[in-house]
Amino acid sequence: MTAASLPLDAHGNVDQLYIETRELRLQGFLLFLVSDCVLFASFIFAYLYLRNSGQGWPPPGIQRLDVAFAAWNSVVLFGSGATMHYALENFKHGNFMRYMWFLLATIVLGAGFLGGQAYEYTHLIYGEHVTWWGSGIFGASFFTLTGMHGLHVFIGVCYLTVLVLQSAAGVYTRGKFFGITAGTLYWHFVDVIWVVLFSIFYLI
Amino acid sequence: MNAALIERLGAVIAGIIVGVVAFYALYKDWHATGVENQVFKLMLVLLGIGAILALLAGLNVIGFVPKGA
Repeated sequence: MTAASLPLDAHGNVDQLYIETRELRLQGFLLFLVSDCVLFASFIFAYLYLRNSGQGWPPPGIQRLDVAFAAWNSVVLFGSGATMHYALENFKHGNFMRYMWFLLATIVLGAGFLGGQAYEYTHLIYGEHVTWWGSGIFGASFFTLTGMHGLHVFIGVCYLTVLVLQSAAGVYTRGKFFGITAGTLYWHFVDVIWVVLFSIFYLI
Repeated sequence: MNAALIERLGAVIAGIIVGVVAFYALYKDWHATGVENQVFKLMLVLLGIGAILALLAGLNVIGFVPKGA
């Protein structure tokens, strides 16, 4: 570990507590992501079970979801995963301004995805009259799973906004940036969950 | 040019860019060690797969596209 990458406390001393607890915090955060995976998995398997136990899919009277807009909105979210990865890489290499730009790009893309999802919901509810409460298993599954994912994206956007403010205030240094690592892990997680949701709702 | 065509074109172009970026990042980080880097590598693989799926969906190879779109 070089001098520049040593974790320092507010008084400029080496932060021993950070060094000793970093691995534990990482493991705790990964366990949190695993528990979130279990939450999504339970809903996904319930959806797949219901889908395969009925008389064809989608149920009579409901059109299949249009994949064109969903594909575009998906690459917006996947693109945000790439920008977040490069934000972390630039921070690790000491390119602070690039890090900030990539982080801001991630927030904009994440917010863009949420906007796209709001547009799709509006189209489904008012254009095709598919609702959470009145369209049976299809509406309930679709809005619950994508809504839960959207909530995660919204929380992620808030988290990243806090990261921007904290970074601007100098909270993170080259040796002490667990918050950014956790933010990147979380953002990749919401990306990966969307890969699964995109596949099961739009592609199969 | 209708909206669906623009969306599909966007998905194809952005899918190629994101896929290339994800797999390039994976290539660069391939020898990185530590728990978080292993998780990042797994996430980048899945991100790349997602980009390929979006690309194929944009090209009408997979997924459902209504007639006339």
